[in-house]
Amino acid sequence: MTNRIMIIEDDPMIQTELKNLLVGNGYEVFAASDFTDTVTDVKKYRPHLIILDIKLPGTSGYAICSEIRTFSDVPIIFVTSCDTDMDELNSIMLGGDAFITKPYNTAILLARIASLLKRVYGVRQTAEYEWQGVTLHLESGTVTYNGLQVELTKNELKILAYLFKNAGKICSRTDIVDELWDNQLYVDDNALSVNINRIRDKLATVGLHDFIKTKHRQGYML
Amino acid sequence: MSGRTYWKNQLPVVIFQLLCMLMLSVFLLAVGNSTDSILLIDLVWVFLCAAAMICRYRRRKQEMDRLLKMQEQLEEKYLIPELMTLPERSDDQVYYYLLKDAEKGMLEQIEAGRRERAEYKEYIEQWIHEVKTPITAMKLLCENNLYPFTRELLAELEKVTRFTEQALYYARSEQVWKDYSIREISLSAVVHSSVADNRYLLMHNKAAVEVADFGDMVFSDEKWVRFILNQLIVNAVKYSKENPVIRIYTKRGEEAVHLRIEDNGIGIPAQDLPRIFDKGFTGENGRSGQNATGIGLYLCKRLCDKLDIGLSVTSDANGTVIDLSFRMNDFIRQVQG
Repeated sequence: MTNRIMIIEDDPMIQTELKNLLVGNGYEVFAASDFTDTVTDVKKYRPHLIILDIKLPGTSGYAICSEIRTFSDVPIIFVTSCDTDMDELNSIMLGGDAFITKPYNTAILLARIASLLKRVYGVRQTAEYEWQGVTLHLESGTVTYNGLQVELTKNELKILAYLFKNAGKICSRTDIVDELWDNQLYVDDNALSVNINRIRDKLATVGLHDFIKTKHRQGYML
Repeated sequence: MSGRTYWKNQLPVVIFQLLCMLMLSVFLLAVGNSTDSILLIDLVWVFLCAAAMICRYRRRKQEMDRLLKMQEQLEEKYLIPELMTLPERSDDQVYYYLLKDAEKGMLEQIEAGRRERAEYKEYIEQWIHEVKTPITAMKLLCENNLYPFTRELLAELEKVTRFTEQALYYARSEQVWKDYSIREISLSAVVHSSVADNRYLLMHNKAAVEVADFGDMVFSDEKWVRFILNQLIVNAVKYSKENPVIRIYTKRGEEAVHLRIEDNGIGIPAQDLPRIFDKGFTGENGRSGQNATGIGLYLCKRLCDKLDIGLSVTSDANGTVIDLSFRMNDFIRQVQG
């Protein structure tokens, strides 16, 4: 089941791009285009989560939020360029679940959405990946192959997880570095090579050779 | 009040008195009085006159000294007419009214200036909020379409964001007390979001960032601490050597949690250290072409002072360590039980 997210945001560019971002991350998205009757839209569309701007033409996010709270407990994320404490306080008092200021970091926004959805609806995330008989266990941070097991460090786990997620596709070095930074692992290009080599050495101990292929000038691939 | 000038001003009166005395003596002598009685009359005259003049001088002196002292104690010097009472002498009264008038004009000027500044500040804040919408849109647009050139654009956007934030905080720093809420915040969360804010700067300069695992919670305002950290990280990158490394870790002290930001940059010359928090101070490093503004650290220091965060710097040629100490005061410990 995909989660439905509703965007209430008046800037057309942000609306479109936010929609693209969320659709690209596997959510179903509905963007409100008229703000006179947003609440009816909410009732009709019944989203799992709402992203709400505070400054809206003719109305305000606060008003919409308190109206929604009269009939629904759907998680609401306030996204706004107003960042005074009063704004934050107001949004929390009125029943907002999170407060993110513009310009936001997409990684942080996505993480917040995922954690809210998980908290409210208990959505389980994939705990393991499999590819060509090799299994990656995210929770224990290990790789098993032919009954043999090897442990990974945090960096190695994230790199492998990204490669598994995009198995069969080429992952560019910059994409991998981006993914690591999104996960608060600050690795540069050189350190990435070191990590990849270490992963290869570890995989060799369980009998996996050339599992991660280097694509010259393009990146890595499983 | 200078006594010399006072007596100089009194000179015509003294001369006039002496003349009168002389004329009276001549008259008395002519109508046949003895010199003894004339001398006696003159002596009494001189004595009375001198006594009266000295008394008057002392009273004046006292009055003036009181005014001067009041003025000295007054913080807003231009308010002195408010403390003065209406003088008795009519010529003093003229000055009094002149001062009153001057004060009124001054107050009007100050009020107008204050209002203008408040309006300007409001405008700046509003402008910054408005400019954030297109920045957000551009950022999303770039992140949804990652190519080498959009990455470059993102790096530039990060700079734009940093400058607008700085302007906003500069406009606000005068009134931090209006806009902060102290609550328990996770230091590691603030550090990570601050690193994320400067992601493209760090990546572009190939800086290795090592954030230790720490779970310290402190009481402070997240927004401001993040702003301070951003400034410090930018500095660490700006004044770096080859292969920059930035280490961020905490140390728990007796009464405070110390958050340290350590870099291996060019360091700060010892003679510049005492002045790095001064507004507009750029120092040797700033002058050698890093386009320093002398604003960043000044803002940090001001904010730290207002938030009661200790800020200290140690530096040598191998790098700089900035230490932010968050007090764990008794009250907080009691509340935490």
